[in-house]
Amino acid sequence: MLKMTDISKSFFGVPVLKHVSFSVEQGEVHALLGENGAGKSTLMNILAGVYTRDSGTVVFDGEKLEHTTVKSSDAAGIAFVHQELNLFNDLRVFENIFLRKEITTKAGMLNKKAMILKTRELFDSLGVDIEPTAMVSELETGKKQLLEIAKALYASAKLFILDEPTTALNNEEINHLFTIIRRLKEQGKSFVFISHKMTEIFTIADRYTVLRNGEFINTGNISETTPKDITKMMVGSKYCEQEAYETRECGAPVLELNNLSGHGFSDVNLTIQKGEVVGFTGLVGAGVSEMFQTIFGVLPITGGVLRIRSCAIAANSVHKAMKNRVSMIPSNRKENSIVPDFSLLENSYISEHTLSSRFQHIFSRKEKRRFRRLGETLNIKSNSTSDMITSLSGGNQQKVILARWLNTKADILLMDNPTQGIDVGAKAEIYKLINQLAKEGKTILVNTLEIPELQQVADRCVVFYHGHLQTILSREEMSEENVMLWATNAINSSEVAKTHE
Amino acid sequence: MNETRVKLKTGNSITKTLGNYSFILIFLVIFFAFLLINGGATTWSGVMNILRHSAVVGVLSFGMGLVIITGGIDLSVGSMLSLIGGLSVVVFNATNSPIITLFFALGAGILCGLINGVFVGIAQMPAFIVTLSTMLIYRSIAQYYLRTMGLSIYNMEGTLSSYDAFYGFGQAKWLTVPVVGVVLIAVTAIMVYVSTMTKFGKTVFAVGSNEKAAQLAGINVKRTRVLVFVITGLLCGLSSFLWLGMNGSVDPATIGKSYEMYAIAAVVIGGVSMSGGKGRLLGVLFGAMSYTIIDKIIASLGFDALINDTIKGSILLIAVFAQIVVPAIREKVRKPKSI
Repeated sequence: MLKMTDISKSFFGVPVLKHVSFSVEQGEVHALLGENGAGKSTLMNILAGVYTRDSGTVVFDGEKLEHTTVKSSDAAGIAFVHQELNLFNDLRVFENIFLRKEITTKAGMLNKKAMILKTRELFDSLGVDIEPTAMVSELETGKKQLLEIAKALYASAKLFILDEPTTALNNEEINHLFTIIRRLKEQGKSFVFISHKMTEIFTIADRYTVLRNGEFINTGNISETTPKDITKMMVGSKYCEQEAYETRECGAPVLELNNLSGHGFSDVNLTIQKGEVVGFTGLVGAGVSEMFQTIFGVLPITGGVLRIRSCAIAANSVHKAMKNRVSMIPSNRKENSIVPDFSLLENSYISEHTLSSRFQHIFSRKEKRRFRRLGETLNIKSNSTSDMITSLSGGNQQKVILARWLNTKADILLMDNPTQGIDVGAKAEIYKLINQLAKEGKTILVNTLEIPELQQVADRCVVFYHGHLQTILSREEMSEENVMLWATNAINSSEVAKTHE
Repeated sequence: MNETRVKLKTGNSITKTLGNYSFILIFLVIFFAFLLINGGATTWSGVMNILRHSAVVGVLSFGMGLVIITGGIDLSVGSMLSLIGGLSVVVFNATNSPIITLFFALGAGILCGLINGVFVGIAQMPAFIVTLSTMLIYRSIAQYYLRTMGLSIYNMEGTLSSYDAFYGFGQAKWLTVPVVGVVLIAVTAIMVYVSTMTKFGKTVFAVGSNEKAAQLAGINVKRTRVLVFVITGLLCGLSSFLWLGMNGSVDPATIGKSYEMYAIAAVVIGGVSMSGGKGRLLGVLFGAMSYTIIDKIIASLGFDALINDTIKGSILLIAVFAQIVVPAIREKVRKPKSI
């Protein structure tokens, strides 16, 4: 039904897809697998007409698709259900379905009755329980996902691209979604299913294709493989960088979590020692970011006890956390860390100033001296301290943010995806800095999905799944394969598969 | 390679400086127009009068500047002038003391500003709506209270012993410079210092530039938002006091009418971005004076005063055009080269 052959694509000279082939049969659910950055999204965006391909052919439903645009792929019957849903929250359910395809009366007025009736018929045929006149903003995420599928179905789509459709759903909603997918499958509809969760892939998919670093790796029937094999294909035998890690001595416990619960995670028990580097990993939504924000006082503690240097912490206040010498480098640097209208210098001192606000005057010479000293240890490349932070590369921006927190004399550093959007060289430097800081007695918690990077720095690796602490892996157990098995909950599902045998 | 880089940098910094200080250019153009039109009739005291007549709107514009830098707005400044000014007259008439009147004006200003600040900063309501409401409320209270006393204007008692001292202060000169103008210069100096050289000042810019990042950097965003409104109230109190010294009476219906608009204009002409986080407060002084000069030009040309706002509005349009559209065009022209 769909045959993409020899697809290549590069952005600014960097190849992201190299001669990839991908095909989907009618009436099948095809799992498209790969790590972050493997090229899955790019491939699907080419299919949906968001990007144009550099080379290769796409044949869909017997027709060759050329110069695809979003509109033409839509008309051909390809529906892309995005992770961020494309629904209008302030419109009603039926209005979303009939948007720009409204049924009108002879007088040219909207025929609401007919539209509501048709919506109801559509939902009945799918087994979806949504009131057509409800406001979309009032629907749960799961229902919204189903609505999006129903909407595409009404637009007579034949192929549905589901990009991680289950991230925001609970188990019941996932089961419901799967029932509907199976029903549509019987009617001859096809699905491309992008997910990191092995359990789901092995429940719903018929075939799979694995991409790695923009290259086609393998394709086959799900029934003839195992989660372990798939993980191996996704990870590959990666080029191992030179080891930066050195064994180190750890001191007394500085951070203790006793049954700690908060928004998005619960019942976490963990003790972290002074001078330790602990890696955290988990899929998006696993709860690590939320836990970091809770420790840093951004989000409230809803249960359990958090102790910093043996003192129980009660209030959710960033300021208090900072006074306890805790700091956090949040994920998504552009949104959550940098102040774009400030220079490097200003960006580096604003946090320290909230602690020393008793003296209001800024001694710029003193600040510059301090920044220069930090800049040397952190190896920040810039012309002048008055350069705007936005003029720096991502890696250097992140170093300025690191300087911001070292300025506050923080010694517990929470780093949420610190190498996000940073090139390889700068990544290595950041991890070298982490090792160096740990040596100086700083305690560092790093949340990342990139396991090879964790192997460079972490003493232990804590794996989260669905807001729960799955396991704590030692350095020896910290293989990429192993971590992926825990993070995708594949360990449990392969055990289930065994018992079935 | 190194050479070209240096060249590029100096070229950049010249255009950048011009862009950052465009308010001086605008001020100079208007000022020269004023000199040309007045011709030989220009006197030192005439020029000093520009400063004097900029004092009331200028002082409160600095508060507006801080609020706008955080990304907010304060529409209630004119009404605060009306309420605080009116009540200050009552206080003066009762106490016969300019000092007590000054402290009352400042205190009342802080209170009015705090009301705005609590709604905007703590309750997190939109600044536009909150200050639109208090704009209606404050002036209405001033007018209603006057009516209950059976009067049509708040008038300082000329028979009081310290009336001459108070009124004299409004007209006084210090080395040929009007004292109220000196107050304006002093406020300018303080506000420029606060906004550029203090930790609080940086906080104000950080909140306007990226609120989320400011919060995650440990800045108390709520407190900052409250404080900028309180400072605006305080400066409105000071403005009211200056007004009393200069005029001796307050008509609550007309005092400070459209001042919120003039203040916003002064801030914007001064180069502060309405979206917050960018700009410098020094420009506010020049923005405020530019508008005063326009008044004077129209008066000396003998035009109908009603044409006033047409010219003021046009100047604002031109100023913002120069600040927004010109750099955008320049960016577009330059872009292909840099890639």
